[in-house]
Amino acid sequence: MSAVTDITIPEDFAVVEQPLSLAARLWDNTLVRRAVILAGLILLWQGYAQWSDNPLMFPTFTETARAFWDALVHGTLLDKAWTSLKVLLMGYVIGIGLAGFLAGLAASTRFGQDLLGTLTAMFNPLPAIALLPLALLWFGLGIPSMLFVLVHAVLWPMALNASAGFFGVSDTLRMTGRNYGLKGWRYIGHILIPAAFPQILTGLKISWAFAWRTLIASELVFGVASGSGGLGWFIFENKNRLETAYVFAGLGTVIIIGLLVEGLLFRTIEHHTVRKWGMLR
Amino acid sequence: MNTPQLTPLLTADGVTLRYKTARALITATHRVSFSVNKGERTVLLGPSGCGKSTLLKAVGGFIKPIEGHITLEGREITEPGPDRMMVFQEFDQLLPWKTVRQNILFPLRQARPDWSSAIAEEKAHSYIAKVGLSKFTDTYPHQLSGGMKQRVAIARAMAMEPSILLMDEPFASLDALTRRQMQDELLRLWSDTRFTMLFVTHSIEEALLVGSRIIVLTPHPGRVKAIIDADNDSLGLPGSAHFREVQEEINAMLFADRYDQGAGI
Repeated sequence: MSAVTDITIPEDFAVVEQPLSLAARLWDNTLVRRAVILAGLILLWQGYAQWSDNPLMFPTFTETARAFWDALVHGTLLDKAWTSLKVLLMGYVIGIGLAGFLAGLAASTRFGQDLLGTLTAMFNPLPAIALLPLALLWFGLGIPSMLFVLVHAVLWPMALNASAGFFGVSDTLRMTGRNYGLKGWRYIGHILIPAAFPQILTGLKISWAFAWRTLIASELVFGVASGSGGLGWFIFENKNRLETAYVFAGLGTVIIIGLLVEGLLFRTIEHHTVRKWGMLR
Repeated sequence: MNTPQLTPLLTADGVTLRYKTARALITATHRVSFSVNKGERTVLLGPSGCGKSTLLKAVGGFIKPIEGHITLEGREITEPGPDRMMVFQEFDQLLPWKTVRQNILFPLRQARPDWSSAIAEEKAHSYIAKVGLSKFTDTYPHQLSGGMKQRVAIARAMAMEPSILLMDEPFASLDALTRRQMQDELLRLWSDTRFTMLFVTHSIEEALLVGSRIIVLTPHPGRVKAIIDADNDSLGLPGSAHFREVQEEINAMLFADRYDQGAGI
């Protein structure tokens, strides 16, 4: 009484599975696509600089590369970059820690929620650089002042993202965590943080970018006075000497470090966490 | 049949539950009393608005009754705990950052520190096997189908060997074919380990299939209308004359008010 259809695949059926060509697979790689764009931009730069022929205002790519290599091998570029990164990491870690504490408090109490809401509303729109004069007044020249502005740059965007992430955690997951008997900071650590990880990662990225910019900008100010600075000071110093290629090399270093952190560090974290867990495509 | 004077495992005594929405205070249940014995499959059945899910969450310890008491093994329930494992309707109840095995192991480690990791590991594996997911041990939840996710949630709850399993419409989001299959599997698991279960559903058919006792609730606010003995053996298969008869009977009970009001039309 029942009819069963024959479902064997006809022999002339084209493909069930066909491997992609090497070119197609390469083009699927984000790094490859970005490298192509970068190469295009470099070509444009070199072309314009050669045409304008004014190394004081706009050195060529090759000149900049030479200056970069010279500063890296014979000069102090690596030292300066490391000085900058050390201060940056300190400020970043302190800022993230404070943001985690505030966001955790906001996730567990209504008072914490109001506190964080008020504080971020007040301080998030305030550019970190605007606090520099105050920092100078309070802490003088040096690392404490830089840390103060860095923490300000990191804290608010991070806390905002983390607490938005915590609030987005579904009721089902919350109940599951409490069902396990988890409470307080253990509940936050085992349930809320991993569940909100996509937003937390966004917060980490944004605040990294804020911190990096703030640092370079504040080094330009501090470097002038103190004489021992990081990358910002390197840029400023070379501008004073009209070594424009070295200014470009300094700026290039800022960009390269930013790209490395964004493209390698954060991408790797993302790949091993939220993408693996299917929380982000 | 056996031991007539059994003290019930779970007792709800005159439980009134209220919850606040943005606009109003809503009474979910009004002085509801029932009890669940060890090894029983009790179903809370009722239309939406009868407070059955709220009642289950109160047993879970997520909501405090404003009147009455809920006790488990003689102790009053005050907060959520791993002795009452919940299985939710939503597919996102598994922790997406843990594999199937880790999802089952994690609560074991948290709530059963007395079990050695070898024991926990073995429990996890045996319950994964019981729900037929041995091939998916190291798979992340997002790679599983809805039915598989619910199986993992059931395995996770059972592996904890809780005093009572609380099931909040666990099959309601599944397609009809998978749902039927899961109901049968649940019964098979039960005949294997004879766990105690409190199961919430709005489907009369599911209640009759899954439950050995059905507590019928009426809405606005939820009150106990009847408690029905629904042993599967005496009931016959779904579709049989007797099964349909009981189904009709419960249907009439649930909508009695509506029939009375509609009589004049």
